[in-house]
Amino acid sequence: MESLFERYRNLMVLLVMLVAQIIGLASQVHRGDAGRMSLDTRDSGGVRLVRLWANAIVSPPERFFHGIWASTFYVWSNYFELRHVSEQNKDLQKTVDRLRLEEAALMEDARQGQRLQAMLGFEEKYIYQTVPAQIIGTSGSDQSRLFYIDKGENAHLQRDMAVITADGIVGKVREVYPSSAQILLINDQTSGAGVILETTRIRGVLRGNALGQPQIVGLTNDSRIQPGERVLTAGGDEIFPRGLPVGTVDTIIKDPDQDGFIKIIIKPAAHLDRLDEVLVITSVQPRFPADQKQDMSESETLKGAEVEQEKAQKASEIMAERLPGLIVPNVPPDQQPLKDDSNPNPVARPVPALHPDRFTPDTTPNSGAPVPGADASSPNQPEATSPSSSETPKSGTAAKKPKTAVPEKPALDPNARRNP
Amino acid sequence: MSVLTADSRRDLEIHRYPVYLYGIVPLVALVLQAWLPRVVGKYAWFDLPLVVTVYFALGRRSPIQGTLMGCAVGLFEDALTHHPIGINGIAKTVAGFLAASVGIRIDVENRIIRVGLIFLLSLLSSALCLFVNRFLLGLNVEINWPIELYIALGNAAIALLLFPFLDRFQLRD
Repeated sequence: MESLFERYRNLMVLLVMLVAQIIGLASQVHRGDAGRMSLDTRDSGGVRLVRLWANAIVSPPERFFHGIWASTFYVWSNYFELRHVSEQNKDLQKTVDRLRLEEAALMEDARQGQRLQAMLGFEEKYIYQTVPAQIIGTSGSDQSRLFYIDKGENAHLQRDMAVITADGIVGKVREVYPSSAQILLINDQTSGAGVILETTRIRGVLRGNALGQPQIVGLTNDSRIQPGERVLTAGGDEIFPRGLPVGTVDTIIKDPDQDGFIKIIIKPAAHLDRLDEVLVITSVQPRFPADQKQDMSESETLKGAEVEQEKAQKASEIMAERLPGLIVPNVPPDQQPLKDDSNPNPVARPVPALHPDRFTPDTTPNSGAPVPGADASSPNQPEATSPSSSETPKSGTAAKKPKTAVPEKPALDPNARRNP
Repeated sequence: MSVLTADSRRDLEIHRYPVYLYGIVPLVALVLQAWLPRVVGKYAWFDLPLVVTVYFALGRRSPIQGTLMGCAVGLFEDALTHHPIGINGIAKTVAGFLAASVGIRIDVENRIIRVGLIFLLSLLSSALCLFVNRFLLGLNVEINWPIELYIALGNAAIALLLFPFLDRFQLRD
Protein backbone atom coordinates (compact mmCIF):
# COMPACT_ATOMS: atom_id res chain seq x y z
CA MET A 1 0.00 0.00 0.00
CA GLU A 2 2.78 2.31 0.88
CA SER A 3 4.62 1.56 -2.30
CA LEU A 4 1.45 2.16 -4.31
CA PHE A 5 1.06 5.57 -2.73
CA GLU A 6 4.70 6.32 -3.34
CA ARG A 7 4.41 5.24 -6.94
CA TYR A 8 1.29 7.21 -7.76
CA ARG A 9 1.84 10.04 -5.33
CA ASN A 10 1.85 12.73 -7.96
CA LEU A 11 -1.32 11.48 -9.59
CA MET A 12 -3.09 11.12 -6.28
CA VAL A 13 -2.24 14.65 -5.26
CA LEU A 14 -3.54 15.86 -8.59
CA LEU A 15 -6.77 13.92 -8.19
CA VAL A 16 -7.31 15.17 -4.66
CA MET A 17 -6.83 18.75 -5.74
CA LEU A 18 -9.16 18.35 -8.71
CA VAL A 19 -11.89 16.63 -6.73
CA ALA A 20 -11.74 19.24 -4.01
CA GLN A 21 -12.14 22.01 -6.55
CA ILE A 22 -14.97 20.25 -8.34
CA ILE A 23 -16.84 19.89 -5.08
CA GLY A 24 -16.23 23.55 -4.38
CA LEU A 25 -17.57 24.44 -7.82
CA ALA A 26 -20.67 22.35 -7.34
CA SER A 27 -21.58 24.34 -4.27
CA GLN A 28 -21.48 27.63 -6.19
CA VAL A 29 -24.02 26.89 -8.92
CA HIS A 30 -27.65 25.94 -8.69
CA ARG A 31 -30.22 24.50 -11.03
CA GLY A 32 -32.83 26.97 -12.17
CA ASP A 33 -36.54 26.45 -12.70
CA ALA A 34 -36.02 25.68 -16.38
CA GLY A 35 -33.50 22.99 -15.55
CA ARG A 36 -30.53 25.05 -16.65
CA MET A 37 -27.60 25.66 -14.39
CA SER A 38 -26.95 29.23 -13.43
CA LEU A 39 -24.53 31.16 -11.33
CA ASP A 40 -25.45 32.37 -7.93
CA THR A 41 -25.49 36.14 -8.32
CA ARG A 42 -24.78 36.50 -4.65
CA ASP A 43 -21.71 34.74 -3.34
CA SER A 44 -22.01 32.60 -0.28
CA GLY A 45 -20.19 33.65 2.86
CA GLY A 46 -17.12 31.51 2.23
CA VAL A 47 -16.76 32.48 -1.38
CA ARG A 48 -17.19 36.14 -0.56
CA LEU A 49 -14.49 35.84 2.06
CA VAL A 50 -12.08 34.35 -0.47
CA ARG A 51 -12.84 37.14 -2.90
CA LEU A 52 -12.41 39.68 -0.15
CA TRP A 53 -8.96 38.32 0.73
CA ALA A 54 -7.89 38.24 -2.90
CA ASN A 55 -9.08 41.79 -3.36
CA ALA A 56 -7.33 42.92 -0.19
CA ILE A 57 -4.07 41.46 -1.49
CA VAL A 58 -4.32 42.78 -5.03
CA SER A 59 -5.89 46.19 -4.48
CA PRO A 60 -2.97 47.97 -2.73
CA PRO A 61 -0.45 47.17 -5.47
CA GLU A 62 -3.06 48.03 -8.07
CA ARG A 63 -3.60 51.40 -6.44
CA PHE A 64 0.16 51.91 -6.39
CA PHE A 65 0.50 51.13 -10.09
CA HIS A 66 -2.56 53.18 -10.86
CA GLY A 67 -1.11 56.11 -8.94
CA ILE A 68 2.12 56.01 -10.91
CA TRP A 69 0.25 55.66 -14.17
CA ALA A 70 -2.17 58.44 -13.35
CA SER A 71 0.65 60.78 -12.27
CA THR A 72 2.53 60.13 -15.49
CA PHE A 73 -0.58 60.66 -17.53
CA TYR A 74 -1.37 63.80 -15.55
CA VAL A 75 2.02 65.32 -16.30
CA TRP A 76 1.67 64.45 -19.95
CA SER A 77 -1.81 65.83 -20.32
CA ASN A 78 -1.13 68.99 -18.32
CA TYR A 79 2.21 69.89 -19.78
CA PHE A 80 2.36 68.69 -23.33
CA GLU A 81 -1.24 69.16 -24.25
CA LEU A 82 -1.71 72.54 -22.60
CA ARG A 83 -1.50 74.35 -25.90
CA HIS A 84 -4.83 72.90 -26.95
CA VAL A 85 -6.62 73.97 -23.81
CA SER A 86 -7.53 77.44 -25.04
CA GLU A 87 -9.15 76.16 -28.21
CA GLN A 88 -10.87 73.39 -26.35
CA ASN A 89 -12.12 75.87 -23.81
CA LYS A 90 -13.66 78.01 -26.52
CA ASP A 91 -15.29 75.01 -28.12
CA LEU A 92 -16.56 73.81 -24.80
CA GLN A 93 -17.94 77.22 -23.96
CA LYS A 94 -19.83 77.24 -27.23
CA THR A 95 -21.10 73.78 -26.48
CA VAL A 96 -22.19 74.82 -23.01
CA ASP A 97 -24.05 77.82 -24.41
CA ARG A 98 -25.78 75.68 -26.98
CA LEU A 99 -26.64 73.01 -24.44
CA ARG A 100 -28.04 75.60 -22.06
CA LEU A 101 -30.44 76.74 -24.73
CA GLU A 102 -31.38 73.19 -25.57
CA GLU A 103 -31.79 72.34 -21.92
CA ALA A 104 -34.11 75.26 -21.36
CA ALA A 105 -36.19 74.19 -24.31
CA LEU A 106 -36.29 70.58 -23.16
CA MET A 107 -37.15 71.68 -19.65
CA GLU A 108 -40.60 72.64 -20.76
CA ASP A 109 -41.10 69.22 -22.31
CA ALA A 110 -39.81 67.55 -19.17
CA ARG A 111 -42.17 69.51 -16.96
CA GLN A 112 -45.04 68.68 -19.20
CA GLY A 113 -44.02 65.04 -19.10
CA GLN A 114 -43.84 65.11 -15.33
CA ARG A 115 -47.32 66.58 -15.13
CA LEU A 116 -48.69 63.93 -17.44
CA GLN A 117 -46.92 61.18 -15.54
CA ALA A 118 -48.31 62.48 -12.30
CA MET A 119 -51.77 62.36 -13.82
CA LEU A 120 -51.22 58.80 -14.99
CA GLY A 121 -49.71 57.70 -11.70
CA PHE A 122 -46.44 56.79 -13.36
CA GLU A 123 -43.27 57.90 -11.68
CA GLU A 124 -40.05 58.42 -13.57
CA LYS A 125 -36.76 58.35 -11.70
CA TYR A 126 -34.09 60.95 -12.28
CA ILE A 127 -30.43 60.60 -11.43
CA TYR A 128 -30.20 62.39 -8.15
CA GLN A 129 -26.76 61.65 -6.82
CA THR A 130 -23.63 60.10 -8.29
CA VAL A 131 -20.24 59.18 -6.92
CA PRO A 132 -17.24 59.54 -9.23
CA ALA A 133 -14.75 56.69 -9.06
CA GLN A 134 -11.55 55.71 -10.76
CA ILE A 135 -10.83 52.31 -12.23
CA ILE A 136 -7.86 50.65 -10.59
CA GLY A 137 -7.92 47.14 -12.00
CA THR A 138 -9.67 44.38 -13.86
CA SER A 139 -10.42 40.71 -13.36
CA GLY A 140 -7.51 39.82 -15.62
CA SER A 141 -9.62 37.45 -17.70
CA ASP A 142 -11.42 38.10 -20.95
CA GLN A 143 -14.05 35.62 -19.81
CA SER A 144 -14.94 37.84 -16.89
CA ARG A 145 -15.50 41.37 -18.04
CA LEU A 146 -15.44 43.38 -14.86
CA PHE A 147 -13.22 45.94 -13.23
CA TYR A 148 -12.51 47.33 -9.83
CA ILE A 149 -13.04 50.92 -8.73
CA ASP A 150 -11.45 52.80 -5.86
CA LYS A 151 -14.71 53.42 -3.99
CA GLY A 152 -16.57 50.93 -1.89
CA GLU A 153 -18.51 50.80 1.33
CA ASN A 154 -16.64 53.90 2.46
CA ALA A 155 -18.49 55.82 -0.29
CA HIS A 156 -21.82 54.17 0.56
CA LEU A 157 -21.87 52.07 -2.58
CA GLN A 158 -24.21 49.12 -2.68
CA ARG A 159 -24.83 46.15 -4.92
CA ASP A 160 -26.78 46.65 -8.14
CA MET A 161 -26.11 50.36 -8.41
CA ALA A 162 -25.84 51.57 -11.99
CA VAL A 163 -22.47 52.69 -13.31
CA ILE A 164 -22.35 55.18 -16.15
CA THR A 165 -20.13 57.67 -17.94
CA ALA A 166 -21.09 60.85 -19.71
CA ASP A 167 -21.36 58.81 -22.91
CA GLY A 168 -23.60 56.02 -21.71
CA ILE A 169 -24.08 53.13 -19.35
CA VAL A 170 -21.15 50.96 -18.32
CA GLY A 171 -22.42 48.30 -15.96
CA LYS A 172 -23.54 47.69 -12.43
CA VAL A 173 -21.97 47.20 -9.05
CA ARG A 174 -21.66 43.46 -8.45
CA GLU A 175 -19.79 43.31 -5.18
CA VAL A 176 -18.78 45.92 -2.66
CA TYR A 177 -15.67 45.74 -0.49
CA PRO A 178 -14.56 48.17 2.22
CA SER A 179 -12.57 50.44 -0.09
CA SER A 180 -13.25 49.05 -3.54
CA ALA A 181 -16.08 47.60 -5.58
CA GLN A 182 -16.49 45.15 -8.42
CA ILE A 183 -18.24 46.46 -11.54
CA LEU A 184 -19.77 44.02 -14.01
CA LEU A 185 -19.69 45.45 -17.52
CA ILE A 186 -22.67 45.32 -19.87
CA ASN A 187 -20.65 43.31 -22.40
CA ASP A 188 -20.14 40.39 -20.04
CA GLN A 189 -21.91 37.18 -20.93
CA THR A 190 -23.66 37.06 -17.57
CA SER A 191 -24.82 40.66 -17.47
CA GLY A 192 -28.31 41.84 -18.31
CA ALA A 193 -30.06 45.16 -18.80
CA GLY A 194 -33.45 46.17 -20.12
CA VAL A 195 -33.14 48.31 -23.24
CA ILE A 196 -35.41 49.88 -25.82
CA LEU A 197 -34.79 50.95 -29.40
CA GLU A 198 -35.35 54.67 -29.67
CA THR A 199 -37.50 54.94 -32.80
CA THR A 200 -39.10 51.54 -33.16
CA ARG A 201 -39.72 51.28 -29.37
CA ILE A 202 -38.85 47.59 -29.41
CA ARG A 203 -37.77 46.30 -26.03
CA GLY A 204 -35.14 43.68 -25.35
CA VAL A 205 -32.51 42.39 -22.97
CA LEU A 206 -28.90 43.42 -23.37
CA ARG A 207 -26.08 41.00 -22.62
CA GLY A 208 -22.55 40.39 -23.81
CA ASN A 209 -21.18 37.73 -26.11
CA ALA A 210 -17.89 35.84 -26.25
CA LEU A 211 -16.30 38.63 -28.30
CA GLY A 212 -17.09 41.21 -25.65
CA GLN A 213 -19.80 42.90 -27.71
CA PRO A 214 -23.07 43.88 -26.08
CA GLN A 215 -26.03 42.40 -27.94
CA ILE A 216 -29.79 42.36 -27.67
CA VAL A 217 -31.11 38.83 -27.70
CA GLY A 218 -34.52 37.22 -27.95
CA LEU A 219 -36.01 39.56 -30.56
CA THR A 220 -38.22 38.40 -33.40
CA ASN A 221 -37.16 39.41 -36.87
CA ASP A 222 -38.34 42.94 -37.59
CA SER A 223 -37.49 44.80 -40.78
CA ARG A 224 -37.95 48.17 -39.08
CA ILE A 225 -34.77 47.72 -37.09
CA GLN A 226 -31.95 49.35 -38.99
CA PRO A 227 -28.27 49.87 -38.18
CA GLY A 228 -27.58 53.22 -36.61
CA GLU A 229 -30.68 53.33 -34.46
CA ARG A 230 -30.04 54.49 -30.93
CA VAL A 231 -30.56 52.15 -28.01
CA LEU A 232 -31.61 53.47 -24.60
CA THR A 233 -32.20 51.92 -21.22
CA ALA A 234 -35.79 50.88 -20.73
CA GLY A 235 -35.83 51.40 -16.98
CA GLY A 236 -37.59 48.16 -16.17
CA ASP A 237 -34.64 46.36 -14.60
CA GLU A 238 -34.61 48.43 -11.41
CA ILE A 239 -30.93 49.18 -12.00
CA PHE A 240 -30.58 51.69 -14.81
CA PRO A 241 -32.81 54.76 -14.93
CA ARG A 242 -34.87 55.09 -18.07
CA GLY A 243 -33.53 56.88 -21.13
CA LEU A 244 -29.79 56.56 -20.63
CA PRO A 245 -27.84 55.99 -23.85
CA VAL A 246 -26.60 52.45 -24.36
CA GLY A 247 -25.27 52.64 -27.90
CA THR A 248 -26.34 52.24 -31.49
CA VAL A 249 -27.39 49.25 -33.54
CA ASP A 250 -24.30 47.95 -35.30
CA THR A 251 -25.31 44.74 -37.04
CA ILE A 252 -28.33 42.47 -37.07
CA ILE A 253 -27.75 38.74 -37.29
CA LYS A 254 -29.96 35.69 -37.15
CA ASP A 255 -29.95 33.80 -33.89
CA PRO A 256 -28.53 30.36 -34.70
CA ASP A 257 -30.10 28.84 -31.61
CA GLN A 258 -33.64 30.10 -32.17
CA ASP A 259 -35.45 30.06 -35.50
CA GLY A 260 -37.04 33.37 -36.45
CA PHE A 261 -35.17 35.30 -33.82
CA ILE A 262 -32.40 37.80 -34.30
CA LYS A 263 -29.49 39.20 -32.34
CA ILE A 264 -28.64 42.85 -32.51
CA ILE A 265 -25.01 43.68 -31.98
CA ILE A 266 -24.68 47.04 -30.26
CA LYS A 267 -21.88 49.52 -30.61
CA PRO A 268 -21.66 50.78 -27.03
CA ALA A 269 -21.84 54.49 -26.40
CA ALA A 270 -19.31 54.30 -23.59
CA HIS A 271 -15.75 53.27 -24.42
CA LEU A 272 -15.77 50.06 -22.43
CA ASP A 273 -12.18 49.18 -23.33
CA ARG A 274 -10.70 52.50 -22.27
CA LEU A 275 -12.46 53.62 -19.14
CA ASP A 276 -10.69 55.86 -16.67
CA GLU A 277 -13.44 57.33 -14.53
CA VAL A 278 -17.03 56.33 -14.03
CA LEU A 279 -20.04 57.59 -12.12
CA VAL A 280 -21.92 55.34 -9.77
CA ILE A 281 -25.56 56.33 -9.43
CA THR A 282 -26.16 56.16 -5.71
CA SER A 283 -29.60 57.73 -5.64
CA VAL A 284 -32.51 58.23 -8.00
CA GLN A 285 -35.52 60.35 -7.15
CA PRO A 286 -38.74 61.33 -8.92
CA ARG A 287 -37.57 64.94 -9.17
CA PHE A 288 -34.63 66.87 -10.49
CA PRO A 289 -31.70 67.42 -8.10
CA ALA A 290 -31.09 70.93 -6.72
CA ASP A 291 -27.97 71.65 -8.73
CA GLN A 292 -29.68 70.55 -11.93
CA LYS A 293 -32.63 72.80 -11.13
CA GLN A 294 -30.27 75.72 -10.58
CA ASP A 295 -28.52 74.94 -13.83
CA MET A 296 -31.82 74.82 -15.64
CA SER A 297 -32.96 78.13 -14.16
CA GLU A 298 -29.70 79.71 -15.31
CA SER A 299 -30.31 78.28 -18.73
CA GLU A 300 -33.78 79.71 -18.81
CA THR A 301 -32.49 83.14 -17.78
CA LEU A 302 -29.78 83.04 -20.38
CA LYS A 303 -32.22 81.85 -22.95
CA GLY A 304 -34.59 84.75 -22.13
CA ALA A 305 -31.81 87.31 -22.46
CA GLU A 306 -30.72 85.82 -25.72
CA VAL A 307 -34.25 85.86 -27.08
CA GLU A 308 -34.61 89.54 -26.16
CA GLN A 309 -31.34 90.29 -27.83
CA GLU A 310 -32.47 88.50 -30.95
CA LYS A 311 -35.73 90.44 -30.95
CA ALA A 312 -33.91 93.76 -30.65
CA GLN A 313 -31.56 92.78 -33.41
CA LYS A 314 -34.44 91.84 -35.66
CA ALA A 315 -36.20 95.17 -34.97
CA SER A 316 -33.11 97.14 -35.91
CA GLU A 317 -32.73 95.10 -39.07
CA ILE A 318 -36.34 95.81 -40.03
CA MET A 319 -35.83 99.51 -39.40
CA ALA A 320 -32.71 99.48 -41.51
CA GLU A 321 -34.64 97.90 -44.35
CA ARG A 322 -37.41 100.45 -44.11
CA LEU A 323 -35.03 103.41 -43.96
CA PRO A 324 -32.64 102.83 -46.81
CA GLY A 325 -31.72 106.51 -47.16
CA LEU A 326 -30.15 106.67 -43.71
CA ILE A 327 -27.26 104.51 -44.81
CA VAL A 328 -25.14 105.22 -47.86
CA PRO A 329 -23.95 101.83 -49.09
CA ASN A 330 -20.50 102.76 -50.38
CA VAL A 331 -19.50 104.99 -47.49
CA PRO A 332 -17.69 103.66 -44.44
CA PRO A 333 -19.74 103.56 -41.26
CA ASP A 334 -17.79 106.34 -39.56
CA GLN A 335 -18.34 108.67 -42.53
CA GLN A 336 -22.06 108.18 -42.92
CA PRO A 337 -23.85 111.52 -43.39
CA LEU A 338 -26.20 110.88 -40.53
CA LYS A 339 -23.53 109.82 -38.12
CA ASP A 340 -23.82 112.21 -35.23
CA ASP A 341 -22.47 110.96 -31.98
CA SER A 342 -23.28 114.11 -30.10
CA ASN A 343 -26.95 113.25 -29.86
CA PRO A 344 -27.51 109.88 -28.25
CA ASN A 345 -31.17 109.83 -29.30
CA PRO A 346 -31.41 111.27 -32.75
CA VAL A 347 -34.88 111.86 -34.16
CA ALA A 348 -35.63 109.80 -37.21
CA ARG A 349 -36.65 112.00 -40.08
CA PRO A 350 -39.31 111.02 -42.56
CA VAL A 351 -38.34 109.95 -46.00
CA PRO A 352 -39.13 112.55 -48.66
CA ALA A 353 -42.03 111.54 -50.85
CA LEU A 354 -41.33 110.64 -54.41
CA HIS A 355 -44.54 112.32 -55.63
CA PRO A 356 -45.48 115.01 -53.12
CA ASP A 357 -48.90 116.47 -53.08
CA ARG A 358 -50.69 118.80 -50.76
CA PHE A 359 -51.02 116.10 -48.16
CA THR A 360 -47.32 115.49 -48.04
CA PRO A 361 -45.68 116.75 -44.84
CA ASP A 362 -43.97 120.13 -45.09
CA THR A 363 -46.18 121.15 -48.02
CA THR A 364 -48.75 123.03 -45.96
CA PRO A 365 -48.81 126.72 -46.91
CA ASN A 366 -47.71 129.23 -44.37
CA SER A 367 -50.86 130.31 -42.68
CA GLY A 368 -49.25 133.64 -41.82
CA ALA A 369 -49.40 134.82 -45.44
CA PRO A 370 -52.55 133.50 -47.00
CA VAL A 371 -53.32 134.59 -50.48
CA PRO A 372 -56.91 134.26 -51.46
CA GLY A 373 -57.32 132.54 -54.75
CA ALA A 374 -53.63 131.74 -55.03
CA ASP A 375 -52.62 128.47 -56.61
CA ALA A 376 -50.16 126.62 -54.46
CA SER A 377 -48.93 124.60 -57.37
CA SER A 378 -48.11 127.61 -59.50
CA PRO A 379 -44.70 127.17 -61.16
CA ASN A 380 -43.98 130.86 -60.73
CA GLN A 381 -44.08 130.71 -57.04
CA PRO A 382 -40.72 130.89 -55.32
CA GLU A 383 -39.50 127.82 -53.51
CA ALA A 384 -40.17 127.92 -49.83
CA THR A 385 -37.58 127.24 -47.22
CA SER A 386 -38.09 123.83 -45.89
CA PRO A 387 -36.47 122.06 -43.00
CA SER A 388 -35.83 119.20 -45.30
CA SER A 389 -34.45 121.24 -48.11
CA SER A 390 -30.98 120.19 -47.32
CA GLU A 391 -32.06 116.57 -47.65
CA THR A 392 -33.39 116.83 -51.13
CA PRO A 393 -33.71 113.37 -52.56
CA LYS A 394 -31.25 112.54 -55.18
CA SER A 395 -34.02 111.32 -57.37
CA GLY A 396 -34.29 113.54 -60.42
CA THR A 397 -38.04 113.26 -60.56
CA ALA A 398 -38.53 114.45 -57.06
CA ALA A 399 -36.04 117.27 -57.51
CA LYS A 400 -37.94 118.75 -60.45
CA LYS A 401 -41.17 118.89 -58.53
CA PRO A 402 -41.94 122.17 -56.85
CA LYS A 403 -42.34 122.04 -53.16
CA THR A 404 -44.25 124.37 -50.94
CA ALA A 405 -45.81 127.50 -52.39
CA VAL A 406 -45.47 130.43 -50.06
CA PRO A 407 -45.66 133.59 -52.25
CA GLU A 408 -44.12 136.75 -50.98
CA LYS A 409 -46.25 138.92 -53.28
CA PRO A 410 -49.77 138.28 -54.29
CA ALA A 411 -50.15 137.53 -57.97
CA LEU A 412 -53.23 137.66 -60.09
CA ASP A 413 -54.21 134.46 -61.73
CA PRO A 414 -56.92 134.22 -64.36
CA ASN A 415 -58.15 131.08 -62.82
CA ALA A 416 -58.47 132.67 -59.45
CA ARG A 417 -61.19 134.82 -60.63
CA ARG A 418 -63.43 132.00 -61.33
CA ASN A 419 -63.12 130.81 -57.81
CA PRO A 420 -65.69 132.22 -55.49
CA MET B 1 15.13 16.18 -28.03
CA SER B 2 16.86 14.07 -25.48
CA VAL B 3 14.77 11.82 -23.29
CA LEU B 4 16.23 10.97 -19.90
CA THR B 5 15.03 8.98 -16.99
CA ALA B 6 13.19 10.83 -14.29
CA ASP B 7 15.66 10.22 -11.52
CA SER B 8 18.72 11.29 -13.47
CA ARG B 9 17.21 14.59 -14.63
CA ARG B 10 15.72 15.38 -11.27
CA ASP B 11 19.00 14.80 -9.51
CA LEU B 12 21.06 16.74 -12.00
CA GLU B 13 18.99 19.73 -13.00
CA ILE B 14 16.52 20.68 -10.32
CA HIS B 15 16.50 24.45 -10.21
CA ARG B 16 16.39 26.04 -6.80
CA TYR B 17 15.24 29.56 -6.06
CA PRO B 18 15.07 31.77 -2.99
CA VAL B 19 11.96 31.04 -0.97
CA TYR B 20 10.59 34.56 -1.30
CA LEU B 21 10.62 34.21 -5.08
CA TYR B 22 7.91 31.55 -4.93
CA GLY B 23 5.63 34.11 -3.31
CA ILE B 24 6.63 37.35 -4.95
CA VAL B 25 6.76 36.31 -8.58
CA PRO B 26 3.27 34.73 -8.69
CA LEU B 27 1.87 37.68 -6.76
CA VAL B 28 3.42 40.21 -9.13
CA ALA B 29 2.10 38.17 -12.04
CA LEU B 30 -1.40 38.20 -10.57
CA VAL B 31 -1.31 41.94 -9.90
CA LEU B 32 0.00 42.73 -13.36
CA GLN B 33 -2.57 40.43 -14.93
CA ALA B 34 -5.27 42.37 -13.14
CA TRP B 35 -3.85 45.81 -13.80
CA LEU B 36 -2.35 45.70 -17.29
CA PRO B 37 -5.68 45.22 -19.13
CA ARG B 38 -6.59 48.58 -17.64
CA VAL B 39 -3.73 50.06 -19.70
CA VAL B 40 -3.68 48.01 -22.88
CA GLY B 41 -7.42 47.49 -23.12
CA LYS B 42 -8.64 44.67 -25.32
CA TYR B 43 -5.10 43.80 -26.41
CA ALA B 44 -4.32 42.07 -23.13
CA TRP B 45 -3.33 38.87 -24.87
CA PHE B 46 -1.38 37.18 -22.11
CA ASP B 47 -1.83 35.06 -19.03
CA LEU B 48 1.06 35.89 -16.75
CA PRO B 49 0.02 33.58 -13.89
CA LEU B 50 0.07 30.63 -16.28
CA VAL B 51 3.50 31.59 -17.56
CA VAL B 52 4.86 31.79 -14.03
CA THR B 53 3.22 28.50 -13.06
CA VAL B 54 4.75 26.72 -16.01
CA TYR B 55 8.13 28.29 -15.35
CA PHE B 56 8.35 27.06 -11.76
CA ALA B 57 6.90 23.67 -12.68
CA LEU B 58 9.53 23.22 -15.38
CA GLY B 59 12.29 24.45 -13.13
CA ARG B 60 11.43 22.44 -10.05
CA ARG B 61 10.45 19.34 -12.02
CA SER B 62 8.13 18.31 -9.24
CA PRO B 63 4.56 17.47 -10.30
CA ILE B 64 3.29 17.99 -6.76
CA GLN B 65 4.80 21.45 -6.53
CA GLY B 66 3.54 22.27 -9.99
CA THR B 67 0.08 21.06 -9.04
CA LEU B 68 -0.03 23.06 -5.85
CA MET B 69 1.29 26.22 -7.41
CA GLY B 70 -1.11 25.93 -10.34
CA CYS B 71 -3.99 25.35 -7.97
CA ALA B 72 -3.12 28.33 -5.77
CA VAL B 73 -2.57 30.70 -8.68
CA GLY B 74 -5.72 29.54 -10.46
CA LEU B 75 -7.90 29.91 -7.38
CA PHE B 76 -6.49 33.37 -6.80
CA GLU B 77 -7.35 34.31 -10.37
CA ASP B 78 -10.87 32.97 -9.93
CA ALA B 79 -11.31 35.02 -6.79
CA LEU B 80 -10.74 38.18 -8.81
CA THR B 81 -13.45 37.30 -11.33
CA HIS B 82 -17.17 36.86 -10.82
CA HIS B 83 -17.10 33.26 -11.98
CA PRO B 84 -17.21 30.31 -9.60
CA ILE B 85 -13.96 29.78 -7.78
CA GLY B 86 -12.27 26.73 -9.22
CA ILE B 87 -12.54 27.09 -12.99
CA ASN B 88 -9.07 28.52 -13.50
CA GLY B 89 -7.96 26.53 -10.49
CA ILE B 90 -8.67 23.24 -12.23
CA ALA B 91 -7.16 24.41 -15.51
CA LYS B 92 -3.92 25.63 -13.97
CA THR B 93 -3.67 22.67 -11.65
CA VAL B 94 -3.60 20.40 -14.67
CA ALA B 95 -1.24 22.75 -16.52
CA GLY B 96 1.20 22.83 -13.61
CA PHE B 97 1.11 19.07 -13.24
CA LEU B 98 1.68 18.47 -16.95
CA ALA B 99 4.47 21.04 -17.17
CA ALA B 100 6.34 19.43 -14.30
CA SER B 101 5.72 15.95 -15.66
CA VAL B 102 7.01 16.93 -19.07
CA GLY B 103 9.96 18.70 -17.49
CA ILE B 104 11.11 15.42 -15.98
CA ARG B 105 11.16 13.63 -19.30
CA ILE B 106 12.43 16.12 -21.85
CA ASP B 107 15.13 18.75 -22.04
CA VAL B 108 13.35 21.96 -21.23
CA GLU B 109 16.46 24.14 -21.26
CA ASN B 110 15.91 24.58 -24.94
CA ARG B 111 14.05 27.83 -25.55
CA ILE B 112 12.07 26.53 -28.47
CA ILE B 113 10.79 23.64 -26.40
CA ARG B 114 9.86 26.00 -23.58
CA VAL B 115 8.00 28.33 -25.90
CA GLY B 116 6.23 25.50 -27.67
CA LEU B 117 5.27 23.95 -24.38
CA ILE B 118 3.80 27.08 -22.96
CA PHE B 119 1.89 27.70 -26.17
CA LEU B 120 0.29 24.27 -25.98
CA LEU B 121 -0.41 24.54 -22.27
CA SER B 122 -2.12 27.89 -22.82
CA LEU B 123 -4.50 26.36 -25.33
CA LEU B 124 -5.04 23.40 -23.03
CA SER B 125 -5.86 25.74 -20.15
CA SER B 126 -8.46 27.54 -22.28
CA ALA B 127 -9.96 24.24 -23.36
CA LEU B 128 -10.16 23.08 -19.75
CA CYS B 129 -11.91 26.32 -18.74
CA LEU B 130 -14.47 25.75 -21.48
CA PHE B 131 -14.87 22.11 -20.46
CA VAL B 132 -15.50 23.02 -16.82
CA ASN B 133 -17.95 25.77 -17.76
CA ARG B 134 -19.87 23.78 -20.32
CA PHE B 135 -19.83 20.23 -19.04
CA LEU B 136 -19.17 20.38 -15.32
CA LEU B 137 -21.17 23.49 -14.53
CA GLY B 138 -23.60 23.43 -17.46
CA LEU B 139 -23.18 27.15 -18.05
CA ASN B 140 -23.82 28.68 -21.44
CA VAL B 141 -20.43 30.30 -21.75
CA GLU B 142 -18.66 30.73 -25.06
CA ILE B 143 -14.99 31.15 -25.77
CA ASN B 144 -13.51 33.28 -28.50
CA TRP B 145 -10.92 30.92 -29.87
CA PRO B 146 -8.99 33.43 -32.00
CA ILE B 147 -8.41 35.47 -28.87
CA GLU B 148 -7.32 32.35 -27.02
CA LEU B 149 -4.85 31.70 -29.81
CA TYR B 150 -3.49 35.23 -29.48
CA ILE B 151 -3.17 34.71 -25.75
CA ALA B 152 -1.20 31.51 -26.32
CA LEU B 153 1.10 33.35 -28.71
CA GLY B 154 1.43 36.22 -26.23
CA ASN B 155 2.36 33.81 -23.47
CA ALA B 156 4.99 32.25 -25.67
CA ALA B 157 6.47 35.65 -26.47
CA ILE B 158 6.50 36.66 -22.82
CA ALA B 159 8.11 33.37 -21.88
CA LEU B 160 10.94 34.08 -24.28
CA LEU B 161 11.81 37.19 -22.26
CA LEU B 162 10.71 36.20 -18.78
CA PHE B 163 12.28 32.78 -18.45
CA PRO B 164 15.90 33.95 -18.98
CA PHE B 165 15.23 36.82 -16.58
CA LEU B 166 13.93 34.50 -13.85
CA ASP B 167 16.78 32.06 -14.48
CA ARG B 168 19.13 34.68 -13.05
CA PHE B 169 17.59 34.16 -9.62
CA GLN B 170 18.52 30.47 -9.52
CA LEU B 171 20.58 29.35 -6.55
CA ARG B 172 23.83 27.81 -7.69
CA ASP B 173 25.61 25.24 -5.56
